[in-house]
Amino acid sequence: MILVNDVYKRYHTDHGPGRWVLEGVNLTIPPRTNVGLMGRNGVGKSTLLRLIGGNDTPTRGTIERHCRVSWPMGFSGGLQGSLTGRQNARFICRIHGHESDMPDRIAQIEGFCELGHAFDEPVKTYSTGMRSRLQFAMSLAFDFDVYISDEVTAAGDVVFRDKAHAAFKKVADHAGLIMVSHAENTLKQFCKAGVLLHEGRAHWFDDINDAFKAYKASLAAA
Amino acid sequence: MHAFQGVDAGMFIMTGLLGFFMTRNTALRSMEAIKANAALFAYRQVKPVDTVIVRAGLEGFLGLLIALILLAGAGLFGLEIVPRDPLQVLLAFAGLWAAGLGLALIMSVASQLVPEIGDVMRLAFTPLYLFSGIMFPIQFVPHPYREWLFYNPILHGVEVLRGGYFSHYHVVPEADLSFLLAFALVTVFLGLVLHVRFARKIIAQ
Repeated sequence: MILVNDVYKRYHTDHGPGRWVLEGVNLTIPPRTNVGLMGRNGVGKSTLLRLIGGNDTPTRGTIERHCRVSWPMGFSGGLQGSLTGRQNARFICRIHGHESDMPDRIAQIEGFCELGHAFDEPVKTYSTGMRSRLQFAMSLAFDFDVYISDEVTAAGDVVFRDKAHAAFKKVADHAGLIMVSHAENTLKQFCKAGVLLHEGRAHWFDDINDAFKAYKASLAAA
Repeated sequence: MHAFQGVDAGMFIMTGLLGFFMTRNTALRSMEAIKANAALFAYRQVKPVDTVIVRAGLEGFLGLLIALILLAGAGLFGLEIVPRDPLQVLLAFAGLWAAGLGLALIMSVASQLVPEIGDVMRLAFTPLYLFSGIMFPIQFVPHPYREWLFYNPILHGVEVLRGGYFSHYHVVPEADLSFLLAFALVTVFLGLVLHVRFARKIIAQ
């Protein structure tokens, strides 16, 4: 269960406080619910994900997480360039408190990402596709109650994408998911409920198809 | 080589350099730690202060390793390398490291908020190199200028370091390890306060 209570957010820019990105967002995300988050570019989808993931704090309002929430996945960050893939994986295991079963988890990550000997090379030598393989494999290695995904399935070549898709589907079936994607099919495939971010506020829809209708209506109105 | 108070000139300079670089490298490298590890703030478990402290620990370890290698090398050339009072030497190194950590904690926050502060900090270490008594014995500096130089905490650490290292070395009476340790304590405290205050703002960038 995640409670977002009257959250306001704005960033500081070079010329003073910026505009309000979120203005009074209220959301209750029940356990084991797959939610698709939609809205036009710059409306604050990624900001809301960062707030829910605990990477940033609201300017006003509170966010309560009553479950284990993942980091925002598919995020550009999350990998330290001078460490190897294996060392990055060890680091992630450590900060998530999996010191004791680390060899198993690292074996799982290594097996899933299929990087071969590049797994022991520094991450800064990786291509974009290799990075996203590693990021995706790391995000699947832990059991979270809610996964936060920022365009995460768009990773790697076709073979890997299919495999990632299947693995992600399996995760989404037994855990909660909050997902941002501009691909309508992806959202409909993974999510039941939908949230539309529009003009700084969030609107909840029990059915993702209704959310898409409202999204398109808001685009047409603008 | 000239000898001064029975101390070989090479050993005199080497001990000074090792002490000075302990502070300088810890301060400057750890100051950059936040920027270098920005990618890891994607995980909410990682705070900016973690990166600075870990980097400072690494620099301290490397500094000691380099000191051991250089001194062992000097020993191969037949120089007297066994310190008179090893505990005092270690304490002086620890004080110099802690002063570097304190400066790094403060400057890592300050240089994130105002990037130019980082450049000023890097420049400031060049005159400090001259004023820390590394290349010349501080005894040669007349009063009252010597007292002025002793506002520099690194000089205290370097002098006490040499006093603990060489048997016949006379430490000038102004040198006081507690000045360096007090400096370290104050800067570490200030730095931690700044991190508590600005951690969110740094991550939000």
